[in-house]
Amino acid sequence: MPNKVAIIGVGITPFRARYLDKTYFELAYDATKLALDDSNKNGAQISHKDLQSTVYGIYNELFERQFMPDIFTNSYLGMNDKPGTRIATGGATGGYTVRMAYAEVASGLTDLCLCIGLEKCNDCYDEQTGTTTPEVLNAIAYSADMTYEYPMGMMAASSYVSMVNAHYEEFGNPTEEQMAFVSVKNHGNAMLNPKAQSPMKITVEDVIYSRIICYPFKMLDCCLYSEASAALILASEQKVKELGIEKPIWITGVGAANTDCFIGNRESIGRLYSNIEAAKVAYKMAGLDYNNIKNQIDVAELHDAFSGQEVISYEELGFVPFGEGGPWIENSFEKSGEGPWLDGELPCCPSGGLIGCGHAVGATGIMSTGEAALQIREEAGKHQVRIEKGRAISHSIGGPGAAYAAIIVMANEEGLKKP
Amino acid sequence: MSGENFQAHEIRDKIIIQYKYTMGSQSKFFIELKNNKKLLGTKCTKCGKTWMPPRINCSECYEPADWIEMKQTGTIEVSTIVWYTTSAFIKAIPYGVAYVKLDGADTALLQGIFSENLVPSKVKKGSFVKAVFLKEREGKMTDFFFVPEDEYETWINKPEYEGGV
Repeated sequence: MPNKVAIIGVGITPFRARYLDKTYFELAYDATKLALDDSNKNGAQISHKDLQSTVYGIYNELFERQFMPDIFTNSYLGMNDKPGTRIATGGATGGYTVRMAYAEVASGLTDLCLCIGLEKCNDCYDEQTGTTTPEVLNAIAYSADMTYEYPMGMMAASSYVSMVNAHYEEFGNPTEEQMAFVSVKNHGNAMLNPKAQSPMKITVEDVIYSRIICYPFKMLDCCLYSEASAALILASEQKVKELGIEKPIWITGVGAANTDCFIGNRESIGRLYSNIEAAKVAYKMAGLDYNNIKNQIDVAELHDAFSGQEVISYEELGFVPFGEGGPWIENSFEKSGEGPWLDGELPCCPSGGLIGCGHAVGATGIMSTGEAALQIREEAGKHQVRIEKGRAISHSIGGPGAAYAAIIVMANEEGLKKP
Repeated sequence: MSGENFQAHEIRDKIIIQYKYTMGSQSKFFIELKNNKKLLGTKCTKCGKTWMPPRINCSECYEPADWIEMKQTGTIEVSTIVWYTTSAFIKAIPYGVAYVKLDGADTALLQGIFSENLVPSKVKKGSFVKAVFLKEREGKMTDFFFVPEDEYETWINKPEYEGGV
């Protein structure tokens, strides 16, 4: 049996378009300090010297303009002469990093592990347009197959839109309006999250009439790339007792899967098999039921890099049957026109998700996991949702055609006991 | 630290690495594309699955796959039209891309979709497309693209393009 593992501290820097006053390793330092402070508020008395190992989530060397950026971060965090490993799995880097940090503690390799994600993308700069984004997108596009797919002008949005368009062809949803509502919801929820980059009170029409990116995604359907770091401190059960942690959040399930990165090889383009497999594995490990998961958790922090993808995730993660994601979110709220959207059958992305917070790739899934943990600690702040079951999930996807997926299930002390 | 008097120092830089990379056992695909305007796929000797892009080993059976010549007609499985993109392609907008299943193939290939009338209804799922080739080919994926079946004659009559075999 693996050792029990708890999240004892969460540290998230603000997600911003650009930090001119910080490098990537300085952002990591801030997140680590915040996570240590949070652990100490949670009953511990620890410093970085007590952390026994680090797992780094850093997606893209071209963003940081540095290969092996983890070792330079390791130096700045004062983590020399201890093990440190880097995970890079595209947009799913954060979730996968949590999974690997979990494994370090669950296996007994370490009792107190720093799980940290970071990314600083907007140092990329496109001289021809005098803007950052096209060069950021180019740095990401190198994650497509370089021989067969990159030369076609493949990029993140046109890759993800394939699944959404195929899903629409099969089921007639998500419609442009349903996708737009997800954007309204997540931008709106971000109004209550002081760390979010894109808080906005907008309407479905604002989204639909925003600039077209790739059919049918509009600009407001897409997350913005962001700069941030997010850190979690993970402890073994023994360490939780030893430190006297008041509100440990137990990681009860981790699931991950990589589906075919060549979208054209998939049996059905309108499904992310990686999401389905990762969810089933994570829920089973946590003793939860894929077909009833909606009633077993209080909140889900999903990977809404694109609004339509969030809708498909409702189905793949087992909230609703296939084909019912669009209508479900549309009818989930009594007054769908007025935010915040922190209630409904299952609150999704109360933090604002990627659309509301921004996407600081390596940091994102760790932010989502940290946000979900704070929710079931009932310390999420103004975007706190009602906690009844004491359980939450976080979700990360990424890579070409969103091939990578990772799901983390967590519970507070009450959530461990409840059926 | 970063108060009102903070001033950032930014350094301009770029990373350039040059390559002359081998396509290994997939080389035949690119050689035939360049020299003979053929589109070669592979077929597993055990399960019969047809791979496009080709791979000479079947990832499902762990058995070898044989080269086969594919038809140059196919059907769009899913598509989009791109209006905002990476620095490398921003001058090309708008452009169409689609996963195209060549007739007889089991997998779909990402390719550019060119059209005189590039609108979603013209490049939607189920549309029939045909491959058009550049006259000046280099043995790269950009040596060909697909056009809607009813525009094939128009495209192959343009001076820089030609029809397949």
